[in-house]
Amino acid sequence: MSPNLILPQTATGHPLRRRMLAAAGALLLAGTYTALVLTQPTGLTDGLGQTVALATFAAYLAAALLLLAAVLPELPVATLTLIPVALALNIVLGQFVGSVMVPLYLDSLGTVLVGFLAGRRAGAATGVLGTLIWSLFNPTVLPFAAGAALVGFLAGTAARFGTLRRPYLAPVAGLAVGVLVGVLSAPVAAFVFGGTSGVGTGALVAAFRSMGDSLLSAVTKQALISDPGDKAIVFLLAALLIYALPGRLSAGFAFVRRHNVLGSHGSK
Amino acid sequence: MPRTCQLHPFTVLALAAAVTATTTAAGRWWLSVAVLLACLLLAAWARRARRLAGLAAAILAPAWGSQLLIHGMADTAGGHVLAAAGPLRITAEGLATAGALGLRTGVLVAAGLLCTLLIDRHELIAAVDLSPAPPQLGYLLAATLFLLPALERRQRAIGQAQSLRGATPGGGPRGWFRRVRLRSVPLVLGALQDAADRSAHLAARGFPAAGPHTRLREVQDSAAQRRVRRIALACTVLGPVAVLAPSWMGAA
Amino acid sequence: MSAGQNAVLGLELARFRYAGASRDTLSGISLSLAPGSLTVVLGDSGSGKSTLGAVLAGMLPRHDGDALDATLHLAGQEIRHRPGAAVRIDPVGWARQVGLLPQDARHFLSGVRATVAEELALGLENAGVPRAQMRRRIAALADQLELHELLQRDPAKLSGGQERLVALAALGLDAPAVLVLDEPLAGLDSPAAARIWELLDRLRGGGTALVLLARALDRLAAGADTVLALREGSCHAMDTALPTSAAPVAPAARRAPGAELLLGFSGVGIGYPGSAGPVVQGLDLKVRAGECVGLAGPNGSGKTTVLKAAAGLLRPGAGQVHGSSLAAGTVGLLLQNPSDQLFERTVAREVAFGLPKRGPEVARIPAVLASLGLDGHAQAHPYELPASARRIVALATVLVREPGVLLLDEPTEALDADGLARLHAALAAVLDRGGAVLLATHDEAFMAATAHRVHRMGPAVPAGTGPVAPGRVGEL
Repeated sequence: MSPNLILPQTATGHPLRRRMLAAAGALLLAGTYTALVLTQPTGLTDGLGQTVALATFAAYLAAALLLLAAVLPELPVATLTLIPVALALNIVLGQFVGSVMVPLYLDSLGTVLVGFLAGRRAGAATGVLGTLIWSLFNPTVLPFAAGAALVGFLAGTAARFGTLRRPYLAPVAGLAVGVLVGVLSAPVAAFVFGGTSGVGTGALVAAFRSMGDSLLSAVTKQALISDPGDKAIVFLLAALLIYALPGRLSAGFAFVRRHNVLGSHGSK
Repeated sequence: MPRTCQLHPFTVLALAAAVTATTTAAGRWWLSVAVLLACLLLAAWARRARRLAGLAAAILAPAWGSQLLIHGMADTAGGHVLAAAGPLRITAEGLATAGALGLRTGVLVAAGLLCTLLIDRHELIAAVDLSPAPPQLGYLLAATLFLLPALERRQRAIGQAQSLRGATPGGGPRGWFRRVRLRSVPLVLGALQDAADRSAHLAARGFPAAGPHTRLREVQDSAAQRRVRRIALACTVLGPVAVLAPSWMGAA
Repeated sequence: MSAGQNAVLGLELARFRYAGASRDTLSGISLSLAPGSLTVVLGDSGSGKSTLGAVLAGMLPRHDGDALDATLHLAGQEIRHRPGAAVRIDPVGWARQVGLLPQDARHFLSGVRATVAEELALGLENAGVPRAQMRRRIAALADQLELHELLQRDPAKLSGGQERLVALAALGLDAPAVLVLDEPLAGLDSPAAARIWELLDRLRGGGTALVLLARALDRLAAGADTVLALREGSCHAMDTALPTSAAPVAPAARRAPGAELLLGFSGVGIGYPGSAGPVVQGLDLKVRAGECVGLAGPNGSGKTTVLKAAAGLLRPGAGQVHGSSLAAGTVGLLLQNPSDQLFERTVAREVAFGLPKRGPEVARIPAVLASLGLDGHAQAHPYELPASARRIVALATVLVREPGVLLLDEPTEALDADGLARLHAALAAVLDRGGAVLLATHDEAFMAATAHRVHRMGPAVPAGTGPVAPGRVGEL
């Protein structure tokens, strides 16, 4: 009996099943968001309010887990060893930034890095996993997993279409991603927690509310003010980090080579 | 020495999920306060009460501040106006809403953090590995939890090396950006290089497992615990339904 | 083919080139390994020996971008790699035949297990071996390799030698026919090295063919069946006469009696917050202009702590650190891990980092790079240089400031012959211009060749200055 030394040229797996899972996750997310925007539930602490809070929490978390289940089994080992690094960087750099009193989070830097280097699926998986692990230290982030998945997914998409080939394009893409992520995550802040995670952002929401906005539109407006700036800086930093990588390392990622992610930066 | 419980990690997590979901659905202030107190007592049993209080306060203080500002200070709907000045309107209903939301967040945070304090991370990783979850999940969880202290050490070493070479980033936004770049570039470079060096060896050791996999470490489990888990999971779904169904009837 | 019928692994390699590289890393190599044989591949840092090891172990080519033109014979099968049509290797199946111990054993260890026993079991776990059988096999392995005292230890708290023992044991669990070892003794003190050597002997006795990647012919390589000299990626005939390393010449003390005191410790005690006792206690040490002082002692005796205190990174809890060099702020420290010290995109930018724009130091950069043989690498990325050159870059960043006292922490780790010669020259230059050197190292040969006197440190007991080589002790 001779041992197996060689793998078949085509990977085996169940692409259809995974595609179904991903589609189910995306549909659940889109459906929940649409339902919340259309119905705009008002009471937050009556029976209906608790139903909406639990349903939003459950739907956003379940959607994130479906996306993770769809993506995880097909990631190559090189990407899997990259993800923990990215997750730890999210936390370590987030703490460092927190300690110098600048009102930015930068807690998605690792997620964006993975999206840039390993593509949108790996980025989305990193977003979800990062949130799951971060929730061990802060349980309130759990329902924001879907937003983090979107950040990673969009970072991968942006890199694929050449955002990293010009340094000034990265923060522009970050701005756009910030808008989308802010809008998607607003219902969680509004209907699950009835507020934001910080006093500064809370004051902004209060200001919009006192001008007559509904809670959801006030939270959405606040997110549109703070998220794009944060994501623009994160995208710029991630791009600068990737330009600083030695060529042999960045060329080791199939995604970077296949889509010529770095353009002329890669072939210096 | 802090104590950890002898329960299977999933039992702890399932119980926490059931309690949090049902308490959130009930929305009674006395129930939420009772759950918060129970969390604190359990933490005291594990000799981690101070840690739980500290961690929870760091998360809850800003969240409660935000909820108080949004609902307590700028309420537009409530009738019992306590004070009003320009755009600010403090109403009894608004304060009640802020309080209810604060308790809801508080229960989630306390129950979640209590799980983290009670569960041994090696047990959790082994439990995830032995569960039907994809084999990648256990590795990712483990690798991240173990990388965190390593990266923090490296971060300090880099800070020392830079101060040796007289790195002076300066002040202002440019200085801030320079400081972040100086800190993150060597950290990311080193960590990515390390990850690339490791991946080939992990693959050679059969990771991720293609077929069924086992663990040398045993996780304490019992038939009773499995039953408790099933009941707790059922409660997570059915508890809120039972509590909330009457209000749906009323709304319909 | 020259390979005998009983060869376990045969390699005919025409060329190998990394994705995006402009030249071949390996070319024209032929190798055949018999069971129980010892093959030594000799080469400097950057000669391609680690690449060759990875090709043998099936870890290269990584993907479609790497170009490998080679034929391998392994376990009765023939595997043909052609550029553009690389075969996808099954990493697990290959590793059961050929195991690779990397130079840094921490790259092999997963780092995610609570005990050494669990770390050893990782491969078995992924193969789905039942728990009882895993226990049996690990116990048998621990018996065979005498590792019982390590089994319940935390893998993150092992010494460098123990890490390599555990990695070797994990490799031995599958009993592969071939083991490729990348400098398995580098950086180890002699008892740890003896332990590894004993383990390798046992594996070889059991029929495992060993391939040793080494920088120099040391005692490990002395019993080699075949020696392959690798230069710029291709094989060269090996001189049959083994080069006997020249006996270290005792360095001449350069200082006049009563020379200026550059750095002094008096009654210094240093502890870390959170640790039980002080790491260093009652340290008295004086370093004068023109002298080179060595710090010796086992791991954990506080050598690095003393160097960091001398550089001003740590504040002593007791006693005083003083001296004219310290007062002038011209103390330069080369850290043990050079990558902690490198942050820039090119070597030239790296060396210029943090220097005042129009200061005299910037003007010195070309001369410093030339003196260290780095002028050809000025535009290279520090991470793409071979390990030895990377360490020399870190040395350049320190030397460009012309430190009065040069502090070195394990400076010979990863250095090849050329790098070592550059380091010796740099030390001589510092002493010649009236500076001083304080170095901590396990490398006894290097210590004997450079240090005028050696300060021995014990684990957390008051250390005394003891002469090691009589006649070479400077009067204090």
